[in-house]
Amino acid sequence: MSLELSVQGQRGSFRLQVEATLQPRGVTVLFGPSGAGKSSLLRMVAGLDHCDGVISFADQTWLSAEMELAPWQRPIGMLFQQPTLFRHLTVQGNLDYVARRRQSPVGQQAQVIEQTGIGPLLARRVEGLSGGESQRVALARALLGAPQLLLLDEPLSALDEAHKRELLDLIALAARSVPVLYVTHNMDELLRLADQVWLMERGRIIAQGPASQELSRLDGSLAQRADATALLAGLVADYAREDHLQGITVGDATLWLPVEQQLVAGESVRLRIAARDVSLCLSAPDDSSILNILPARVVGLREVGPGQCLVQLALAGQCILARISGRSARQLSLFPGADVYAQIKAVALV
Amino acid sequence: MLSEGDWLALGVSIQLALLTTVILMVLCTPLAWWLARRRLPGQALLEAMLALPLVLPPSVLGFYLLIGLGPNGPGGWLAEVFAQRSLAFTFTGLVIGSVLYSLPFVLQPLKNAFSAIDSQQLDMAAVAGARPRDRFFSLVLPQCREGYASAAILGFAHTLGEFGVVLMIGGSLSGETRVASVALYEHVEAGDYVSAHRLAAVLLGLSLLLLWGLFRWQRRRPNLGAMP
Repeated sequence: MSLELSVQGQRGSFRLQVEATLQPRGVTVLFGPSGAGKSSLLRMVAGLDHCDGVISFADQTWLSAEMELAPWQRPIGMLFQQPTLFRHLTVQGNLDYVARRRQSPVGQQAQVIEQTGIGPLLARRVEGLSGGESQRVALARALLGAPQLLLLDEPLSALDEAHKRELLDLIALAARSVPVLYVTHNMDELLRLADQVWLMERGRIIAQGPASQELSRLDGSLAQRADATALLAGLVADYAREDHLQGITVGDATLWLPVEQQLVAGESVRLRIAARDVSLCLSAPDDSSILNILPARVVGLREVGPGQCLVQLALAGQCILARISGRSARQLSLFPGADVYAQIKAVALV
Repeated sequence: MLSEGDWLALGVSIQLALLTTVILMVLCTPLAWWLARRRLPGQALLEAMLALPLVLPPSVLGFYLLIGLGPNGPGGWLAEVFAQRSLAFTFTGLVIGSVLYSLPFVLQPLKNAFSAIDSQQLDMAAVAGARPRDRFFSLVLPQCREGYASAAILGFAHTLGEFGVVLMIGGSLSGETRVASVALYEHVEAGDYVSAHRLAAVLLGLSLLLLWGLFRWQRRRPNLGAMP
């Protein structure tokens, strides 16, 4: 079940033109600066704003030159920046509103209430809910009726940090059973959720691909950012109890990171490594305090900003980035194909 | 307390006010929605025309209605719809006059209530599976309850207080077009101050009761469609 888009739309002087294909699984993050047209595109996919072109989903046509399905005919669930709960209804009333109209399967409501933890809120009026509670109810409402695609428009922007994490976990959980198109301009959210990335600028999608690939592309706009970060897929391995360090294997290498509690061995996890936390040396230092020093091969170099150099490295079959000074790059005579050691000062689970 | 004729007049007033209110609620719902949610050329002029009864002397409206609804007036064809020779001096004529006269008092609260609806609520309802008609009944109507209550009470009370228009096109036929306010006027004309006092007191009490009820209710519910 994949979503195919080939749409054009005009809002005043702003022109949106998008060709894209959504992967049928996981989270696709639609990323870009404010005003790039992300929300507009999402509203077009939902059918809330009109556009020209073709939208098809699985074997269903949502939009073509001849026809257009209305939002209530598209099998979608949606979250806006604001929870937008129906303010004349209780929490339960909000759920029923969707369940009745979207023909929610029997038993689904109980399961969604359980999943989002909103059981204690059901009888409450929506005006009395906190921001975090409201957005959880909104997510539960969006999941009812078994949507085949979730459209999330910066759903965390009105929440504080603690509630952001909570909702991110719930969204990640939901994404296991339904594809998600997630709009944000926040790098942390991208790193936490993205399987795929669509990069949007000035009404166009300028790049699309797997998140790990788009993040570490030297010529991509994500790598040019000061907070450029690579994503690695790993498996939980041994736990060094006396040091409170958790081993994660990435290919044939093992990275150690401090954790509060041991993780389940064999589980797959994602690691994030910021480019500015990686330094390079030509031989393996044996007198460094840095835990993770791994052999890597230079894939490419690119100057970014005055005196700064971004190095793309192959590490155990995956890619990371190192942001070093131009002088260091010259002194080490780095070139594509060179073998180096990557000193990774910080690595974190996402 | 009141004479039989006065009770009859009060009955006509209430009947007229009820019918006018019902007609205006139905008529003003789409009109107010259109004015609140769309922006079209000529809208300001249209809104000014619809608000005219707020400022116009009622006798001006009554005068035009008298001319317009007469057998030779441009509205004469309307009489045939109601199988009458002329609508002037009939209850139907009064209803038409009252509808025009009280229109802004129903239109404004509805328009304010509709304007206050967040368009994202409507978008969300559409995504939740609700078609436009469904959205109106399941979302707009319940969220605009206060606006509808204001509109109904103001429309009713204002029609009850109508005098100038009725005087022009009513004709004061007992049981048909003689409303309470005109009956009061006739008592004063005839020097029957006792009857005039009684009827005036009833009208005063009734109007106060209606408005008191409205304001009490508005105080309890803070976010109301405002008064015109």
